[in-house]
Amino acid sequence: MRVDYITGNTAIAEAAIVAGLKFYAGYPITPSSDIFEYLARELPKHGGHVIQFEDEIASINAVIGASWACAKAMTATSGPGFSLMLEAISLAVITETPLVIAYVMRTGPSTGVPTRAGQYDVLQATYGFHGGLVIPVLAASTPQEAYDLTVKAFNVSEMLRTPVVLLTDATIAHTYGKVIMRERGELEIIERIRPLTPPDKYKPYEPVKEHVPAMACFGDGYNVLVESLTHDERGYYAPRTDVQRKLMWRLYRKIVDSAPKLFDYSAIGLEGCDYAFISYGSTALSAQVAAKMLREKGYRVGTLKLRTLYPIYEDGIRKLVSSAKKVFVIENNVGLYYRELRAILRDKEVVSVPIIDLDLPQPQEIVEVVKQWL
Amino acid sequence: MEILIAGRGGQGILLLGHILGRAIAKHTNLYILGSEIYAAETRGGDSRVDLVVADREEDADFIKVMKADIAIFMHQLQLDAYKDLVRDGALVFIDKSNTTNIPQRNWKVYLEPYTDIAEKEIGNIRVANMVALGHLIKVTSIVPPEAVEDTIKEVVAREWVDVNIKAFRYYFSKS
Repeated sequence: MRVDYITGNTAIAEAAIVAGLKFYAGYPITPSSDIFEYLARELPKHGGHVIQFEDEIASINAVIGASWACAKAMTATSGPGFSLMLEAISLAVITETPLVIAYVMRTGPSTGVPTRAGQYDVLQATYGFHGGLVIPVLAASTPQEAYDLTVKAFNVSEMLRTPVVLLTDATIAHTYGKVIMRERGELEIIERIRPLTPPDKYKPYEPVKEHVPAMACFGDGYNVLVESLTHDERGYYAPRTDVQRKLMWRLYRKIVDSAPKLFDYSAIGLEGCDYAFISYGSTALSAQVAAKMLREKGYRVGTLKLRTLYPIYEDGIRKLVSSAKKVFVIENNVGLYYRELRAILRDKEVVSVPIIDLDLPQPQEIVEVVKQWL
Repeated sequence: MEILIAGRGGQGILLLGHILGRAIAKHTNLYILGSEIYAAETRGGDSRVDLVVADREEDADFIKVMKADIAIFMHQLQLDAYKDLVRDGALVFIDKSNTTNIPQRNWKVYLEPYTDIAEKEIGNIRVANMVALGHLIKVTSIVPPEAVEDTIKEVVAREWVDVNIKAFRYYFSKS
């Protein structure tokens, strides 16, 4: 275990190395670039490779290729770069390729205010790619969480054979914090399931555990089919409804059924509360302070900070805020994740508190908005 | 506990804040979050570091100072700009060399010519930040001074370590 004083971006890079990262490909973009810079310096010391490509499209495709060579692989980007990666993310979804994308959000749309923060891309992070499935999204609000969730992102990607988005923003990227860095041996590190069957019996897309197939990599001696067309368990193109149904439901279920296992949050004062604040990422810091200010005035306000945004564990969230009469969803955008929560919390009033701010939303402003509803 | 450090670009505000934050993180059991603000220009603009320090991780819950318990102001402009972020009863360290108008507040003020001390007694105007940091550490004892010196050695380029440590020790060597 090491203790250091580092930024959110450095925490992601450090944790990726501990998780076993062996290949990073990327194209620089503010505010994610220092992840790239840090890894360019440090990853080769740990037997890994870092390469800058001509753009984000090449970068994510290289990451997919590296993962199929059995290297744990990642990239980091921000909104405009993630948009370019979307097509390849669909490829990673249908080919069930484990990889991690650190998505450091900035003020958008487009070039917006590239050095400043916002949470405008929370829906795009999971719904942006084509094909109508879900990929896990984890959201950090401090450098410590960035560290812990990066390790978790790699674990989830390996366990479920899926791209995973680690979502932060410009604020977390450059906030310093005390980070307790647990090392290998002190952490659970999950590796993808490799085939135990002999090569002539191996079916590359036959699930072996909870909808997830074993993954043979290039060089393992197996016939490795990385098939982007609708495929059967052998990996052969099969343009048939029955095959499409089976594949879609398996790809969907393997993520959604894992929701309870992936659920990660921190809760303060939710038991017996009248009002619950739900937030995520950097805005959760503002929400926690605002809740504290209201508690000091006698209101029974609890906070739920979600660290897993997707898949959504509906029962888990419902249970946590069950005593609240009203739920406030606080975020630094026009009120996006609110739509998800409104859909699952149908038995109570859910109020969107969208506060657009280039910095952290001010707790005082949250208090002023929320007070109209108390 | 909230600590605000503010001055003009070029006064070493970010280095001061980083060394203090790092020393607290690595050499105490306290939790800490810290944020930096600096202007696009290299010199002259606003430079500010906010540190939020707590015994429990969940209490280091914000990265901006709401009401500072301790503040360092190295210049009049930032003293004027951020004086309302400092709570009554706070310990406030002000560089007398760069300020003329100290607001009438219910603070415990330490008004010392950090920049003049750095220039005339240490021999390098650039280490005024470490003179101020030494004063803050001597008065508050947030971190053992040895821990700060270790941090200076970690962070500062080798050829500048000695002069920074000399500046940091200025108030410790005074009786």
